[in-house]
Amino acid sequence: MADATHKSSLDIKVPKRNRIRRFSIGDAILIIIMSLLSLSVILPFYNAVLVSMVPQTVYVRSPLLLWPKEVIWDNYRFIFDFRLIWYGIGNSVFITVAGTLYSMLLTVLCAYALTKDIPGRRFVRFLIVFTMYFSGGIIPYFLIINGLGLTNSLWSMILPTGINVFYMLIVSNFFTGIPPSLEESAKIDGAGDFTILIRIILPLSLPILATFALYYAVDKWNEWWHGLLFIRKVEKQPLQLILRQIIQDAQFLSQQLLPGQEKPDVYGDSIKMAAVVVTMFPIMMLYPFLQRYFLSGLTLGAVKE
Amino acid sequence: MATNRSLSRPHGRTDLKKEIWRNRYFYLMLLLPMAFFIIFKYLPLYGLQLAFKEYMLNKGITGSPWIGFDHFKRMTVEPEFFVAFKNTIIISLYRIIFGFPVPIILALMINEVYFNRFRRFTQTILTFPHFLSWVIVSGLVLNMFGDSGVIKKLVALYSPEMATNWNMLYSKASFRSFLIITDIWKEAGWGTIIYLAAIAGIDPSYYEAATIDGCNRLQKVWHITIPGIMGIIVIQLLLRVGWVMEAGFDQIFNLYTPPVYPVADILDTYVYRITFGRGVSMDMGFPTAVGLFKNVINFALIMTANAIARRAGHDGII
Repeated sequence: MADATHKSSLDIKVPKRNRIRRFSIGDAILIIIMSLLSLSVILPFYNAVLVSMVPQTVYVRSPLLLWPKEVIWDNYRFIFDFRLIWYGIGNSVFITVAGTLYSMLLTVLCAYALTKDIPGRRFVRFLIVFTMYFSGGIIPYFLIINGLGLTNSLWSMILPTGINVFYMLIVSNFFTGIPPSLEESAKIDGAGDFTILIRIILPLSLPILATFALYYAVDKWNEWWHGLLFIRKVEKQPLQLILRQIIQDAQFLSQQLLPGQEKPDVYGDSIKMAAVVVTMFPIMMLYPFLQRYFLSGLTLGAVKE
Repeated sequence: MATNRSLSRPHGRTDLKKEIWRNRYFYLMLLLPMAFFIIFKYLPLYGLQLAFKEYMLNKGITGSPWIGFDHFKRMTVEPEFFVAFKNTIIISLYRIIFGFPVPIILALMINEVYFNRFRRFTQTILTFPHFLSWVIVSGLVLNMFGDSGVIKKLVALYSPEMATNWNMLYSKASFRSFLIITDIWKEAGWGTIIYLAAIAGIDPSYYEAATIDGCNRLQKVWHITIPGIMGIIVIQLLLRVGWVMEAGFDQIFNLYTPPVYPVADILDTYVYRITFGRGVSMDMGFPTAVGLFKNVINFALIMTANAIARRAGHDGII
């Protein structure tokens, strides 16, 4: 952003490409290819929604299902009657909200402090960057977090995933681009370092903060690995892990039913796909509206040319 | 700014103390983040000593007795370890050979799309799967490629015989292709972003000059666009090769089954499997050693790749 304002003073309006170009046969072919590729991305989702809305027996027997002959909601009804789905949704919402706040707090503090030329900065920076390239591996990680008593706690899925170093460095890079004169004038007015961060730096960085808050939120919603390692109680598992068991373990659903809850005759792929659709629903709904933020993260810091 | 600089190079101890005191709030800001890094990133490094120890539950990491290189010696005779090591390299190389060029080609095509809105639309669609977890994507693709899935039904229309022998998910012959294809499906769109940004950075006057010289569009792509992003392509390839030891735990773990372990078990899944797969095992030393083995190679390769990238004039961190 800072870069863009810098450029604009020199900018001579040059059309990006020669737009006075005729639509050729090559353009038509390209549009057909791109349509097919887009279709190949959309089809698995369409397939999942389709399978989730027909009875299992119809799905298995039909040679090729392109359109539902009759739509039923039994699969979704079953999924929403399944008590663990609600535990999973609750846990995942909590992890996403609390985790995003926690991650953003740590990320912003770290990113801002690293822009300052304080004694020891290079060493701190080295310590942080080093963790991107070398880790203790899963076993020591498991033993340490286990030893901290986080097993079977939702915090085991929040606390250890605080800072994504890659995101933090991009945010820090962005902070560096904010003109120092703004901070200096605030300082002359008697503002402290925390006040400057909150009153000056953060308001100027809202788009990039929104982008990385979104990335953190998506990461936390997609969290299953920490749950797999640390959560034994099914009531504490995130939605993704519940889904994983529904997909992978044919016995999981029937074992986890409440006494008296009837095992449906539609049990199988249709139920699985209904669970998949429920789990990806929030991201699917947000994506079209927040596209700009979803797609901008990488280019904010990665390409400097 | 200049005065700031000179202040930050203190000449004596009192200057340094003053400097630190002056910046106390910045250190305060670093307190929580550093606590995070120390607890969750550096304590596990302390736990790496288990690679040279016989782990005993009641004695913990520090108290367990040292046994030298026994775990590493065991690696040399453990056939499953060899298989996992080999698979890690092979699967990663397949991903590079077949997967790496795809986002580049896609970016070149997206960039040439005539209508702006359609170009944005395709890019948006192709990027979407990146934001889903492999748990979700595994649900989608296991269904499609599975026994009553749509792919098998399509194949049946073409050749019923092929469909009766349909075994994509459990066949050693096809499982790696399945991994590569689903990975491309999920990540290729996301991969185009960096190339599209690079293409947008090419000076438009080159294209104008080429138009005047009578170049057609393919020639422009070949002589301007591709050379224009070659630098980025080389750096990306270099870094990709540097990360060769990361063969995709999330994907493989959510897609594979025992019949395909011989072709799909990588070091990460192997470590998980032998430790947590059959109930939690008490043997933490050997898997720690395997993890250390992988991470040391990983680290050396990444550092080499970064060093070469930096020498080529690029910031290696990314």
